[in-house]
Amino acid sequence: MKKMMGVGALNLALNELMADDPKVICVGEDIGDMGGTWTYFRGLKATYGTNRVMQTPISESGYTGVSVGLAYGGYRPVVEYMFADFATLASDGIVNVAAKARYNSAGALSLPITFVFPQGVGQAGCQHSQTVEGWFANIPGLKLVAPTTPADLRYFLKAAVLDDDPVCFFFSRPCAMSIQEEVDEDDKSVPSLTNAAKIVKEGTDLTVIAWHSSLLKSIKVVEEVEKETGKSIEIIDPRVLCPFDKEKVFESVRKTGKVVIANEECERGSFSSHISAWIAENCLKDLKMPVKRVGSYNTCIPFGQVEQFALPQEEDIKAAIMSLL
Amino acid sequence: MKFTKEQSLAMYEDLTFGRSMANKIVEYIYGGRINGAIHPSLGQEAISAGILEAKRQTSHEIYTHCTHRQQPLIARTIGLDPFLGELMNKKTGMMKGTSGEYHLVSIKDHHLPMQGVLGAGVANATGFAWALKLDDKDAVVVCSCGDGAMSEGIVYESINLAAINHLPIVYVIENNGIAMSTPIELQAPHEDLYLRAAGFNIPGFKVDGNDVEAVTAALMGAIETAASGQPVIVECKTIRWTGHYVGDMQAYRDTSFLDDTTGFDPVYLYEQKLISNGVADEKELADIKKEQETLMADAFQRAWEAEFPSKEECVNYNNLYSNEAGGEL
Repeated sequence: MKKMMGVGALNLALNELMADDPKVICVGEDIGDMGGTWTYFRGLKATYGTNRVMQTPISESGYTGVSVGLAYGGYRPVVEYMFADFATLASDGIVNVAAKARYNSAGALSLPITFVFPQGVGQAGCQHSQTVEGWFANIPGLKLVAPTTPADLRYFLKAAVLDDDPVCFFFSRPCAMSIQEEVDEDDKSVPSLTNAAKIVKEGTDLTVIAWHSSLLKSIKVVEEVEKETGKSIEIIDPRVLCPFDKEKVFESVRKTGKVVIANEECERGSFSSHISAWIAENCLKDLKMPVKRVGSYNTCIPFGQVEQFALPQEEDIKAAIMSLL
Repeated sequence: MKFTKEQSLAMYEDLTFGRSMANKIVEYIYGGRINGAIHPSLGQEAISAGILEAKRQTSHEIYTHCTHRQQPLIARTIGLDPFLGELMNKKTGMMKGTSGEYHLVSIKDHHLPMQGVLGAGVANATGFAWALKLDDKDAVVVCSCGDGAMSEGIVYESINLAAINHLPIVYVIENNGIAMSTPIELQAPHEDLYLRAAGFNIPGFKVDGNDVEAVTAALMGAIETAASGQPVIVECKTIRWTGHYVGDMQAYRDTSFLDDTTGFDPVYLYEQKLISNGVADEKELADIKKEQETLMADAFQRAWEAEFPSKEECVNYNNLYSNEAGGEL
């Protein structure tokens, strides 16, 4: 066991993947000697060389399409975007090409490629802080993976890269560079992307579904609320958004009848909205109160130290929970 | 470059294969048998034919990325029936008629993925060339795009990556002088797009894209250059005879140049050359042309008679995901 941050766990996962399979390659900006902006490519170039750690010019559109070509050529690229916001430049290669590759071969070929989106805030304003899983939720052909804790980041990056289809892997920079966790380096298991939700904490009176920064905030808030109210609250971390583990969520909702969904995306068009719709379609009779979503305001994220004004805070999550209890 | 009679007749056969196909496409569209915007190769057949001949002659393994107007090259690469099946949305198509002629891909046939969004396929072909280099293969990618795609930023990001990493790739610009309705003078400050190679410190040159032998010779040289790890740009100048798609009324241009095509018709020009050089006589060439027309008419008829795919074949989980972890359709 070794205590590490999320970025350390991602680095461990990449090392394991690259050692096991010479076809696994990394593509992105500043991932060579610098080790990537978020440090989790550190040491990879020295170990695996420039043929496998491909540092590119600042050209997200080009290196996305080129990485797709590498995948067609038998490689298994891990493609990083320094900030998830840059997905806009990469979107044609992901949305129109990678996601359609299998369809456009009538199911004859799979395209194993992982697009890594570091997201969340860091005082860099509206073009370097967004949470973007909702942008891709509307695209059939993609899988969406969004783990939070260091151990999960390692397990699910491996699962994403080893999967034979295109995967968008979203992680929270603030989470991956703050909390530490014991990671069992000897455990080489790879989780399934199906049925991947985790009951972080069991409870009977309300269900909180949350991931990334909102998950960490929810864990703290729930402890407070339980102390103050004596109620018992269940917390679910979906970990994978597509395929979404509906059954585990529905089971919890049938038990508690009350749901708060918290994530840092702005509320309109968010993945939280999809979850809310699924619950409404499948568990309406079990619901004692309307589903409550907590997200960012439908606005741009302010620059610098005032960014928090746009984001869901602990008190917002707490208020949502208290309004239902 | 000298060509044998056999090579010359093979090129002529490819030209007439392309011409017969283009004429049939026009006929089928006006006959109501093909729907959708289709871009036939009419007048641009020498580029497909030149790439095909270069492919036959070189010792390097060749993968091609095609423009949507290189239908003869696509059909020769993946097979005529799988191509026409896809053109007409039929089960006999390469993708069982589900995804269409715009998006054909068959790595085993060395046909690299085509994309509906211009420039995207150029990036894919560049990445594929990178994979070939990493695998130390004696292989070259011949990656075509039109003058229209040459205005897409992704093309330059791709050429840049190819130049930095010394990838084995030939970029063929099929410059027909017009992108949909936008003439070259509104697309580019200089009509010669190959000049942009200089910015990447790679070689680039232009060739008469209506002269099949010139295209072949240019590509033979370019393929050798690329095989040595030097990406290269070859611009083939040609002329678009039809609208952007068949049925496009072309209100945006004067089409009177089509009153006499003898100066730029690649099929006619090659016929004249072969006859005047004594390589073949009129009857030999007429026989080849007739043979291609018959072959094409039969193939179109087969595709026309084939079935459409069912709803189950179009909305099919296995077409989207390779394992159970894809969620619901």
